[in-house]
Amino acid sequence: MSTVGDTLNLIHPLVAKYLRRERMPHMACPGCGIGQVVHATLMAVDELGLTPKDTVWVQGVGCSSRITYSTWVGDNVDAHHGRMFAVATGLKMSRPDMNFICFTGDGDCGAIGGNHFIHACRRNLDVTAILFNNGIYGMTGGQVAPTSPLGAVTTTTPYGNIEDPFDMCKMAVAAGASYVARWRSTDFRQIANSVKKGVQTKGLAFIEVLLQCPTNFGRYVLKTSNPQEVVKWIKEQTISLKDAEKLSPEEMKGKILYGEFIHQTDRTGIVERYQQFLKQHQKE
Amino acid sequence: MSSGVKPGRYFVQGDEAIAEGAIAAGCRFFAGYPITPSSETSETMARRLPEVGGVCLQMEDELASIHCIGAASVAGMKALTVSSGPGISLKLEGLGWGIKNEIPYVVVDVQRAGPSNGVATRVAQGDLYTVRYGSAGGNCALIALSPKSTQEAFDLTIECFNLAEIFRCPVFLLTDETVGHTRELLVIPEESELKIVKRFKPTVPPEKFSMYPLETPEAINYPFPSIGEGYGICVSPYTHNSKGYASTAQDVQEKMAKRLVYKVTAHLDMLTRVESQMMADAEFAVVAYGGDARPALAAVEMARAQGLKVGFFRPIIVWPFPDGEVLKVAEKVKKILVCELNIDGQLVREVERASKGKAEVYHFGSGGVEPHLPSQIFNELRRLFK
Amino acid sequence: MAITIIKDFCKGCGFCISYCPKKVYDLSNEMNKKGYRLPRPARIEDCTECGLCDMYCPDFAILLEKTKKKEKSKEKEGR
Repeated sequence: MSTVGDTLNLIHPLVAKYLRRERMPHMACPGCGIGQVVHATLMAVDELGLTPKDTVWVQGVGCSSRITYSTWVGDNVDAHHGRMFAVATGLKMSRPDMNFICFTGDGDCGAIGGNHFIHACRRNLDVTAILFNNGIYGMTGGQVAPTSPLGAVTTTTPYGNIEDPFDMCKMAVAAGASYVARWRSTDFRQIANSVKKGVQTKGLAFIEVLLQCPTNFGRYVLKTSNPQEVVKWIKEQTISLKDAEKLSPEEMKGKILYGEFIHQTDRTGIVERYQQFLKQHQKE
Repeated sequence: MSSGVKPGRYFVQGDEAIAEGAIAAGCRFFAGYPITPSSETSETMARRLPEVGGVCLQMEDELASIHCIGAASVAGMKALTVSSGPGISLKLEGLGWGIKNEIPYVVVDVQRAGPSNGVATRVAQGDLYTVRYGSAGGNCALIALSPKSTQEAFDLTIECFNLAEIFRCPVFLLTDETVGHTRELLVIPEESELKIVKRFKPTVPPEKFSMYPLETPEAINYPFPSIGEGYGICVSPYTHNSKGYASTAQDVQEKMAKRLVYKVTAHLDMLTRVESQMMADAEFAVVAYGGDARPALAAVEMARAQGLKVGFFRPIIVWPFPDGEVLKVAEKVKKILVCELNIDGQLVREVERASKGKAEVYHFGSGGVEPHLPSQIFNELRRLFK
Repeated sequence: MAITIIKDFCKGCGFCISYCPKKVYDLSNEMNKKGYRLPRPARIEDCTECGLCDMYCPDFAILLEKTKKKEKSKEKEGR
């Protein structure tokens, strides 16, 4: 049996449990990959048994944040553009007992927020950060981003982008994050597993998801607004770590690696170290 | 949590007194970035905060500091950051987050010679308007206190934290390199003598609580729940309704703007603090604040010794500006000499405005580096008195 | 499997239609109040209850109720 039902009485179980009903449907464009990643994140939250009482959603500014802000039924702390990691630092250092799932975008994290991103990785701040990488500034109408491909036509690169894109996972690994992974929006189960691993790993978990923006990236860069075509294009640019082993450097040119880059469980971060530090220095 | 108060007599810099005042007020979170002449406060916090179980972080830049302390306050902590002119400029956007979400915390500006990097190690008073009007978008009223001495640096820092909780907003301690770096006596009283305002928490369940009281714009002592208390708080940089949901509606913007302005302007009686000396029979007044206050007072005493009927007036809470008190001074005297360490004229503009033409207002400004000498102010007084 | 499309959540993106391995879905002629054309599970008898349509829906607009007995243990795990 199948029906097209009346919304008043119907609700997805994950929405019923974790999202604010009055804020749904969220404001993502049709076909936007952010919704898929949020869906995977909620599956992870559910499987881990996290609750609105012990988990806070943290955001910056941009599609990553406008879409996720005030949808979580618990606390939502949305920072200024680029400052999500600085805010997450203040929150986690004050409440090390709570879980923080942080959403950011390629501009929010890779451009204006670059410095805070680097230092959060260096400090190995014990939060889980999910980077929605759609290769463009979506919310503001389609400007070039640090992760836009070379040659991309956007509203601020009408003649084509002459800069190389930023590999933010490499930066996260280099700066010291404990867990770093990259997936595509259609790697649903892998994203959910990564979020679970991230929450369970001490230190910064940085999970980048390459996802489709049919409205801006699709229309300006790929000349299509069909979400499935944007997904297909993303898949064509990517190659798994395993498959990459079989390719030569020449064949690898222009390809984006995906998979788990690092998962270290022995590097402590600022949160645990500060607890130890206080034991030594607290007098009163 | 222990109070961290260490009663006694100390010989310390103003910057250190600020740190002790913060700890006495219950501050247990500090995030800052080194910048002369405020670094001594950061250094004192780095030594003292861990002793009382607090969190002290040196962040990667000024912007990280202000966002970090805003977040710490959202997580329930009383929080402090310190900086000087160029760093305050960097913090202004982040300050907007604190203003809009009505987050209590304290920002210290130890002013130095400017503009731009200026003279890092020397005094000036160029940020009066920056702290009040610097954060983009207006639609708010800010509170700033300014000490003249090490003792006041301690006392007013506690007052800043108290006002931050009462008015649920960021509060500035506007000081300068002279006060920050002068070593003098600080008396820290017994804990029982200190008046500390604790954070207000909701007394109603979440479904009945409005995170942002847009319908009662003049409300003070308003609860500020933290994360993890079951209130499902929503904090964001956007104009938002009383729940915290972002809104583009005109009436929401209007209500939010009125809330952020009226909550301060409706309580000017609580926010007026001035120092007045020898004003009873004064024909002439000298107005100064912060590091220029004591030279100005000394000049007034020199004038009195010569038989000139001069009085001294000092705003202690500089924002909201004490319009009413300044008008009283203007109605009493013929001439007002405003001393400050800037050439463009900032305090003098406020005094002129508040005087409503009742007295002649003169500016005795200087680019900074040194505070005025009493003799310089005295000579200017004599010149104008003719 | 019982499949319900939550009308007001659907944004007509077409992922359920493209990603169903058994091509259960079609585009219907029905529109919701925002003007999005809704999908329709036209070949429900071909459904293998893989759950991909639910997972890939960015807007939580697909409700699935598994009816096959062997899937019951997976159901408990997933929700």
